[in-house]
Amino acid sequence: MRKNSNVAFYVPYVLWLALFVIAPMLLIFYQSFFDINGHFTLGNYVTYFQSGTYLAMTFNSVWYAFLITAVTLLISYPAAYILHYMKHKQLWLLLIILPTWINLLLKAYAFIGIFGRDGGLNNFLGLFGIVPQQLLFTDAAFIFVAAYIEIPFMILPIFNGIEELDEGLINASRDLGASPWQTFTKVTWPLTISGVKSGVQAVFIPSLSLFMLTRLIGGNRVITLGTAIEEHFLTTMNWGMGSTIGVVLIVAMVIIMFLTGERNKLKKGGKHHA
Amino acid sequence: MSEAIVELRHVNKSYGDTTVLKDINITLEEGKFYTLLGPSGSGKTTILRAIAGFLNVSGGDIFIAGKRVNDIPANLREVNTVFQDYALFPHMNVFENVAYGLRIRKVDKASIETRVIDALKMVRLDNLANREISELSGGQKQRVAIARAIVLEPKVLLLDEPLSALDAKLRKDMQYELRDLQQRLGITFLFVTHDQEEALALSDEIFIMNDAVVQQSGTPVDIYDEPINHFVADFIGESNIIDGRMVEDYQVKFNGKIFECSDAGMKPDEHVEVVLRPEDLDVVPAEKGKVTVSIDTQLFRGDFYEIVAYDDGQNEWLIHSTNPAPEDGTLVGLYFDPEDIHVMRFGESEEDFDARLESYEGE
Amino acid sequence: MRKFKWGHLYLVLVFIMLYLPIFYLVGYSFSDGERMSHFTGFTFRHYGELFNDPRMIQIVLDTLLLALLSALIATIVGSFGAMAINRTVKPVVRNTVLSLNNILMVSPDVIIGASFLIFFTALNVPLGFLSVLLSHIAFEIPIVVLMVLPRLKELPGTMLDAAQDLGATNFQVLRDVILPFITPGIFSGFFMAFTYSLDDFAVTFFVTGNGFQTLAVEIYARARQGISLEINALSGVMFLFALLLVVGYYFIQQGQSARKQKKGGR
Repeated sequence: MRKNSNVAFYVPYVLWLALFVIAPMLLIFYQSFFDINGHFTLGNYVTYFQSGTYLAMTFNSVWYAFLITAVTLLISYPAAYILHYMKHKQLWLLLIILPTWINLLLKAYAFIGIFGRDGGLNNFLGLFGIVPQQLLFTDAAFIFVAAYIEIPFMILPIFNGIEELDEGLINASRDLGASPWQTFTKVTWPLTISGVKSGVQAVFIPSLSLFMLTRLIGGNRVITLGTAIEEHFLTTMNWGMGSTIGVVLIVAMVIIMFLTGERNKLKKGGKHHA
Repeated sequence: MSEAIVELRHVNKSYGDTTVLKDINITLEEGKFYTLLGPSGSGKTTILRAIAGFLNVSGGDIFIAGKRVNDIPANLREVNTVFQDYALFPHMNVFENVAYGLRIRKVDKASIETRVIDALKMVRLDNLANREISELSGGQKQRVAIARAIVLEPKVLLLDEPLSALDAKLRKDMQYELRDLQQRLGITFLFVTHDQEEALALSDEIFIMNDAVVQQSGTPVDIYDEPINHFVADFIGESNIIDGRMVEDYQVKFNGKIFECSDAGMKPDEHVEVVLRPEDLDVVPAEKGKVTVSIDTQLFRGDFYEIVAYDDGQNEWLIHSTNPAPEDGTLVGLYFDPEDIHVMRFGESEEDFDARLESYEGE
Repeated sequence: MRKFKWGHLYLVLVFIMLYLPIFYLVGYSFSDGERMSHFTGFTFRHYGELFNDPRMIQIVLDTLLLALLSALIATIVGSFGAMAINRTVKPVVRNTVLSLNNILMVSPDVIIGASFLIFFTALNVPLGFLSVLLSHIAFEIPIVVLMVLPRLKELPGTMLDAAQDLGATNFQVLRDVILPFITPGIFSGFFMAFTYSLDDFAVTFFVTGNGFQTLAVEIYARARQGISLEINALSGVMFLFALLLVVGYYFIQQGQSARKQKKGGR
């Protein structure tokens, strides 16, 4: 009886789905079959799979994304765990989220200053008599800054996962004679793994496609899938090749999502940047 | 006989392969208290929702005050509902909740004021008109929900398990109040519950539902005394149900013996079930009883002792007695009068059942 | 208790790591030099430069206008979208729509940017304010849906029945019951959409033409040319702004949970 209510209200949303979700995805797929002169071709895919550069770049990209994710996870899990037991944890959590509200361009820019030859970190090391190092434009700097930016996005889903965990289960495990370590490995970790998975998802996928960090911090030494797409679209104007790499990235994304389960919990402030 | 205010004729409802209502025929008269009683999933709430207009029936007709309402949406039907979870609007205070329906109907301000206060007085909440819903207790929310529905002066008030969220004590109090309210308002109540005591206490007439079908309808006393089948006998009150055979009219055989009874109209040697209510059984010395049993356990229930005993065929007997039984293991006799025996046929329709009772009880 | 102390130390370290770069950035906005090293005396000079830079002020205003406008439209579309999803009964349809809804949440910005660029070019939409606005609305809608949907799920079906039972039409049910009930979700959704817009760099970078710049794109351009302490001053201003936003968001959330507690405490 309430079915025939105003369908008109939903039209914009459906239009959005069609125009801005489905159409662009189809278009990028379609575009990947055209060469730079607008002729239909499978050449882009052939180039991609035959040229060592593209494959190496893809491998590199995945490897860096893996490193960034691993570093982020290593720092974030204990932090989320401790956070869970803090008084006023909502307030602390807010302080974790706060940096995500600062435009990441500004954060990247800050590291240009910190890692500069004459920057804060070298000055600090100078106090210990260490001569200034080339920090900016190194792989380590790239990974560190990327991890720095991603940490809040990893802490949040893990924290939520731990929050959902029934404290009674921890007590039950202790009561049954498990040591804290056993409790952690047998109860806490398995039950919070879904939070970890969403965290990994939230970090790994954007890490594959970071492009402005590779330029500002990585100094173009690190080329990720994202950098390549940006270059093909905005510099060499070879949209076909760019789209081909885009399709590869989408496939990679789907694989990651599949591996980390379909559970797709909302991450507060979990919007991502390239 | 007063006017039929709600009538359901051959109402069916199914979702795919599942039938939730099967050929329901119900007539509600003005000013009476009706109860739909049954276990969860029996279809009782579905009937309520069909009358309120929250779902479309798959077949049959629904009439309210003589008008077919199948195609009339819920907001235009002259019935109102009290919901199980109260469904009060959390962003409105008590007064606004009750006033909502009147505002929708564009009643003028002054009348809204008086009618809301009157309705709140009816449920004795007029002093809480400005409270927020979150500040109310369960019982108070319940009253607001009732006031919100009765302020619109519906022809029928539908109550969907309204007392189920209250604790036992409050529940009892509310039962009295509901009955009292219904009599003061004089409007028809259709009350849904799975609590048989509640149904027996409140109703003028009960519809017992099971498996999408109305099993039996009638006054509480009729249903208690003359359950139509195993389900009803088991569901209403407590009972001992024993397999038996009808030897001839007024003669039934069970436990290997023939007993005199007050039922008739069956085929000779028909397979039947016999109901004996626990409170109709008296514990007597073994030699004076009609059945001999051995006491197994007994529990003190406050106003009576609940005794469990077994006969030599290992059939369980439930007895309610004001006096304690002899110690466990003792052999005792059970005594009952012929009219305490109630015989039920298998698969008898309500129509046939009524006709059969009519045929010999009138004499 | 003992292990908690180590825990606190760890957290403090994490917080130092999170905030040091930000304070470093803001700190140098007060340095009387031209580089982000060797603090050379306190000054507001860079803030003065910032506020006397009409191009920068124009960009800040454009960015805010874009964020407000896109968030407003996304909130309206997204809220109704959430209602549509919520009333979808068939699990298959519902899950499909939800998955489609989330595509833009999980897609890397480069992909969103690139595919939108192809899309706008195919439709001959000129690259500029309009294309950026449409893109922002597009990637903000899913977060609004995700913020509103849980509220809608909490709304008991009987409450809608009750309103209808009392005589309300569909429109009245929407206005009197549904909208007031999901308002906190709508506010959160608007807020998140707003911050997404402010935060975005990559999508805008792809779909903006020469005529229209947002703050992020402008910072990128300037940062590639090297250090300018005017950007640090801008960071100071933005940090303050972000702080205000977060505090605002905190109160929305607190309001929401207070409401929940009230509801729970019968």
